[in-house]
Amino acid sequence: MECHESVGRTWKDIDTDILVKIFESFNIFELTSGIAHVCRTWRLACSDPMLWKTLDLTLLESNYIKIPLEPYVYVDRLSDQTLTRVLKIALSLSRGNVHTLIFHLNLYLPDHLLTYTAERSPQLRRLVLPAWNRIKKTGIRKAICTWKNLESMTMPSIKNPPYLMETIARNCKNFSELKIMGPCDIHCASTLRLYLPKLKVLSLRCSTLSKEALIIILDGLRHLEVLNISHCILVETSQLHRNIVTELDESILRKASRLRQFLTCMDESCIMCQRTRNDEGLMRWYKYEKGLWKEDEVSSLAL
Amino acid sequence: MSSKKITLKSSDGETLEVEVAIAVQSQTIKHMIEDDCADGGIPLPNVTSKILAKVIEYCKKHVENSKKEDSIEEEDELKEWECNFLQVDQQILCDLIHAANYLNIKSLLDLTCRRVADMIKGKTPEEIRRTFNIKNDFTPEEEEEVRRENKWALE
Repeated sequence: MECHESVGRTWKDIDTDILVKIFESFNIFELTSGIAHVCRTWRLACSDPMLWKTLDLTLLESNYIKIPLEPYVYVDRLSDQTLTRVLKIALSLSRGNVHTLIFHLNLYLPDHLLTYTAERSPQLRRLVLPAWNRIKKTGIRKAICTWKNLESMTMPSIKNPPYLMETIARNCKNFSELKIMGPCDIHCASTLRLYLPKLKVLSLRCSTLSKEALIIILDGLRHLEVLNISHCILVETSQLHRNIVTELDESILRKASRLRQFLTCMDESCIMCQRTRNDEGLMRWYKYEKGLWKEDEVSSLAL
Repeated sequence: MSSKKITLKSSDGETLEVEVAIAVQSQTIKHMIEDDCADGGIPLPNVTSKILAKVIEYCKKHVENSKKEDSIEEEDELKEWECNFLQVDQQILCDLIHAANYLNIKSLLDLTCRRVADMIKGKTPEEIRRTFNIKNDFTPEEEEEVRRENKWALE
């Protein structure tokens, strides 16, 4: 190394701000790969709240096969090990400063890791949940009880929403935004009306939506400001059969006119509408472009 | 057309005359000129003459480039130039980052940070220490934390 007079700065005592700026371009694997093990200054920079406000784990998907018994997936051990390592180190460095937590839709998160994560992210405001398969009722309940500041949640649909919505209602006083990735039937809509009447933003895009459920939502969620039902298959169930509704009638449009934003798309030529139809109202996101599942016409819900 | 020049004074007492259009690539210098503090030259106590010369070289190239037409060839040529520009030893790269930060030259700071990021990615902590000549200065408690995190990698 040539001899040259510097003003005393070396890599060891580089400005923390500059280090944080360098680390900001790192993905979750790079952030947890050992830069926090270099020296004290670097370790301090790695824990900077700016780096952990959003914990984006969407690079982590499970390596799995489908099985006919609960939980209907078998995840390979290496896949789980990688997830465990990255999650533990990330949560350790984040020092409880995580505000937004994003999981990939195709991650089969084990129940104990959900609990572990919740305990170390008490400031959480926004949550994007992974697949439900390995998560137990007790696990998600405990987690939500820890997340008292939760405002926004994106989740795959579940068969029995009441226990979940009730837990949110009881624990998360600021909860106002929900996105369900999957069908919404009358039961689901009634649950929202009962437990989350103060909901302000709701997205049900790209799924089967029952017309009756839509009416329950429009009538029952009096504080709703934004409703996104783009690319949904709207069905009407009568005594004899299921009809697909191709146009929103006057009464629905009238009810929806009080909303600040009513996002719809029921266009036969729209590729997303076609895809929802082909997938029979339950989008198989893994079939399509990487990251397509992250989109939403509502800007606060888009990733 | 005469181009206005400004005098910059480095930490080691040398002076450099630079066209204003080039000097104001640095927001720090720009604000000093705007606030009328530039009479008699601008002192830069945090930058040596050697580093200042490199910084000015960068700013000059960027001013020249902004006058040219946007094209793929120009972009490629700039990228190559920037790559060569950064063929420097560790200490100079370190000083360049600090200078870009102090002088508030966003594009140079972004460039040098990207370069350092690329030098870090894929390396183990020991390899990083060797590359950047850093000593492991963890306290015993911190060393214990590090050991715990490393265990998670093996579980």
